[in-house]
Amino acid sequence: MKEFTPLPDKPAPNDVVGIIPWLKDNLFPTPLNSLVTLAIIAFFVTVIPPLFDWLFFSANWSGTTQAACTNKDGACWVFVIAWSKQFFYGSYPVEELWRINTCLLALVAIIVASFKLHKDLRNKIAIPLFLLLPFLSIILLDGSLIGLEYVATDYWGGFTLNVMLAAASIIVAFPLSFLWALGRRSDMPFIRSVSVILIEFFRGVPVLALFFMGSVMLPLFFPEGTNVDKLLRVWIVLTLFMSGYMAEVFRGGFQAVPNGQYEAADSLGLGFWQKTLLIILPQVIKISMPNILATFVMLFKNTTFLLIIGIFEMLSTTQTALTNSNWLGGHSTEGYLFVAVVFWICCFSMSMISSSIERKLDTSHKN
Amino acid sequence: MKQLTSVIATGLALSLSLSAQAGTLEDVQKRGNVSCGVSTGLAGFSQKDENGVWSGLDVDVCRAVAAAVLGDASKVQYKPLTAKERFTALQSGEIDILSRNTTWTHTRDTSLGLNFAGVNYYDGQGFMVSKALGVKSALELDGAAVCIQAGTTTELNLADYFRANGLTYNAITFDTSDQTRAGFESGRCDVLTSDQSQLYALRIGLSDPSSAIVLPEVISKEPLGPVVSQGDDAWFNIVRWSLMAMVEAEFLGIDSASADKAKAEGNPSQKRLMGSEGDSGAKMGIPAEWGYNIVKQVGNYAESFERNVGAGSPLKIARGLNAQWNEGGLMYSSPVR
Amino acid sequence: MSEKPQVKSSPSFFNNPRNRSLIYQFLLLAGLVYFFYGIITNTLANMEARGIKSGYDFLFTTAGFDILMSLIPYDATYSYGRTFIVGLLNTILVSTIGIVLATIVGFLMGVAHFSKNWLIRKLAVAYIETFRNIPLLLQIFFWYFAVLATLPSARQSLSIGEAIFLNVRGLYLPGLIAESGAGFVYTAIGLAFTAIFFLARWARKRQNDTGQQFPVFLTSLGILFGLPLIALLLSGIPFVWDFPALKGFNFRGGITVIPELMALALALTVYTGAFIAEAVRAGVQAVPHGQTEAARSLGLKESRIMKLIIVPQAMRVIVPLLNSEYQSLVKNSTLATAIGYPDLFTVFVGTTLNQTGQAIEIVFMTMAVYFVINMTISFVMNRFNASVELAERN
Repeated sequence: MKEFTPLPDKPAPNDVVGIIPWLKDNLFPTPLNSLVTLAIIAFFVTVIPPLFDWLFFSANWSGTTQAACTNKDGACWVFVIAWSKQFFYGSYPVEELWRINTCLLALVAIIVASFKLHKDLRNKIAIPLFLLLPFLSIILLDGSLIGLEYVATDYWGGFTLNVMLAAASIIVAFPLSFLWALGRRSDMPFIRSVSVILIEFFRGVPVLALFFMGSVMLPLFFPEGTNVDKLLRVWIVLTLFMSGYMAEVFRGGFQAVPNGQYEAADSLGLGFWQKTLLIILPQVIKISMPNILATFVMLFKNTTFLLIIGIFEMLSTTQTALTNSNWLGGHSTEGYLFVAVVFWICCFSMSMISSSIERKLDTSHKN
Repeated sequence: MKQLTSVIATGLALSLSLSAQAGTLEDVQKRGNVSCGVSTGLAGFSQKDENGVWSGLDVDVCRAVAAAVLGDASKVQYKPLTAKERFTALQSGEIDILSRNTTWTHTRDTSLGLNFAGVNYYDGQGFMVSKALGVKSALELDGAAVCIQAGTTTELNLADYFRANGLTYNAITFDTSDQTRAGFESGRCDVLTSDQSQLYALRIGLSDPSSAIVLPEVISKEPLGPVVSQGDDAWFNIVRWSLMAMVEAEFLGIDSASADKAKAEGNPSQKRLMGSEGDSGAKMGIPAEWGYNIVKQVGNYAESFERNVGAGSPLKIARGLNAQWNEGGLMYSSPVR
Repeated sequence: MSEKPQVKSSPSFFNNPRNRSLIYQFLLLAGLVYFFYGIITNTLANMEARGIKSGYDFLFTTAGFDILMSLIPYDATYSYGRTFIVGLLNTILVSTIGIVLATIVGFLMGVAHFSKNWLIRKLAVAYIETFRNIPLLLQIFFWYFAVLATLPSARQSLSIGEAIFLNVRGLYLPGLIAESGAGFVYTAIGLAFTAIFFLARWARKRQNDTGQQFPVFLTSLGILFGLPLIALLLSGIPFVWDFPALKGFNFRGGITVIPELMALALALTVYTGAFIAEAVRAGVQAVPHGQTEAARSLGLKESRIMKLIIVPQAMRVIVPLLNSEYQSLVKNSTLATAIGYPDLFTVFVGTTLNQTGQAIEIVFMTMAVYFVINMTISFVMNRFNASVELAERN
């Protein structure tokens, strides 16, 4: 038998490969499009060189005081560098910083573990640890309970406060919002209405108003003579706010679980909690994962609003730095730009993760 | 219910402290630090530096009290507060002293359950305008756009002043001093109004400070001072006399450098203030050397003033009303005897 | 599970689902009553101990401060109740502007994601990913302090025909002052809208019945401008222009759009627009590709495919997302307080709370307002959603 040898592939026609056809196809397909392309290019050409000059080439990098910023045509990064410890860790004592780093590492480790560990271990170790983490972190950061040096919450601050506050809120919001979502699906009319009111209240009210509630109203709710730490009050408020949003995310997840799953669980004779926790919840979490992450990104960005009630998170630390009498030279652009970049990196990577999970979960064949 | 809520609160709160009925002094001595409410950031008055160290004229009051009571000016726990929270924090016992550029007014003194322990800075609301406008007096500001740094009384004083003089204006209210400065600098408004002490700080923040001038008019009286809760006279006395000691030390010519000398070989008045004569400390239930500790560790009023807002600081505010009474100012201390 | 030897005909009292649910609900009710009772007694005790006034009397006392921008007459002699309304109207104004503009920007950018032009496509992605991931507060600062602050001063205003001026103090537009007879023109405008509404209904019915199309858009445009124009001429033009002019420090006369409003509306538009663009992208991608292919095989033009086939189907995905974006836009408008735009939050929770100290009443009123606004949006969008869903089945 004669062996079949295919002819070699012919190269694509010259007018569809190479840079010029690509340009023609993608940048100048129609006259109007070409105009738009040219306008965009012109814009970049005029904006980018002076911007880069200000950002990098003429910028002031070295020094420790404002006086080191000699070139007025460039950014004064000395400001950011000098304040960087405050921006990231707040006034937390330098020799105790390992505690913050430990907490952050633990957070990362547990998140990684819950993705990578074997399923049995994951359920038995990672999830309980995850739920306990906020409390363990607080004990470690506070220090007074375990014999470390006591660090009052007034010294916590900076970017790590944004991260930890957001993480602690969402973790505690997990079980709470799950209960609210269950309540909203419940057959019991009173429980259902209470859940609906709670969810709609915390979703319908601006988070700033909730912060004000935490800072000005909550102290009045506690018995006379008790005073609850401001950060703790804010944490309570953030958790409730987050629970409202997460409950709706979970509700969507519940609706996406096919009815057959409930029926199958019922026919196996599982009780309500067994059915909910062992059969439904894992599916709900899997389905809701991208939305949970999106909600977390929103919460994380919202922690900057704490500036309005005087908590030293990153943005308000920046403002404090700007009002310091030794740094009154007007470095607001540098400060705010730095904060924006830090937040952008975090939020963008989280939304990348979120969409990669979405793609992994999406097994349908739409197109 | 109260019990249940406090049990829940205790469970949640780590730094929860029940304000004991014993009295603030005992609390402070037991805790080993003075809890002091300060501003979240006000140039020269209470500010944090890049190492997290607090300084400022208001902060020095807290440090003086800590020096007097605990013998160590660094034993202060600073609680940064916004204007809205400050009185609640004091009333609920979260802080022992509020030293946050708070104006002494009748309402606050009489109806909020507070006591003003004295005045550490005599301020007043003023105006800053751009030199290019050629304005010499606030009365020429008819129709101007005014940038305001939001405060509790700033907006009211401004409205009163313009109404009383039959002038119209547009008020643009900003939240923080940095935003106010940026608004003024961009030309959003012709005039910037704030307490005079802050006008100087804002002026330095301009990219060209010489382009703006502070007008001579002062449209309000703003005596700023430390505040304590009503009903604890012992603590009230300590705070009042800690402040007085700084003023008195300046009057008697004692500063942190000469404190040791004054204590050992000064004249009787100096020795009484330094605690080497008399029992002024015992009468307040604090160490005899309270005055010495304040002056040695914090300095006298002049030192604190110059270091934080005066010639030794970027603000360069003149003493003016805050000079000693015998130099044309209002700082007058009762004698320690 | 252990075996059950016998099956009871009726379960025990506690195992009866009805009784159980009653017990649970009763427990919850008791808990809630206990909780609120505690909070209320604590609060009353605290307020008395701290000498805080309560009640809504403060709404009728003189405010004593001025507000930068007000849609209704206001000065320092009005009451706190009036400041509440002024703030509320300002909030509604900026939210409405934000919602309209964000929808336009969002749809444009969402569709731009599918453009043939590589640069436009990448620009749309860059826009979405940049502005979605930076805290809104920073964006407001950016627009206000970095962009609008670079406009020229009042004396060097940019101007169009000495009628429209733009400077760092705001945008000054000529205003219309109504004289007697203006009511006639207003009636004509109202009439024009009613006519368009009925015309559109008639045209749709005719198209459904006969398949003939009627140029509704052009006719509506004609009615909208024609009718008031005729009324204007008939009543002898009862309006005079009020041109802004530089007097003293500032422009006076005309309509002023303050830069705080512009910055806030811009920031809200750009931020929410990015989210809407993402929703539009998701919505368009959710439409099966077969739909496009079917439309092409019917010989529809590309632009019409988008408009007639893709977008209406994508709306099913987009509308619920729009609902929540609109609600967050309204809630985010509270950040006005950072740049001093006098919205409800700034004047009420800001200045009024500072001056009266009545935190409970003020925070409660403010929360109630935002809650009601959001419920209204939710109601309207759900109605809209229902209409979109219906269109799919027909």
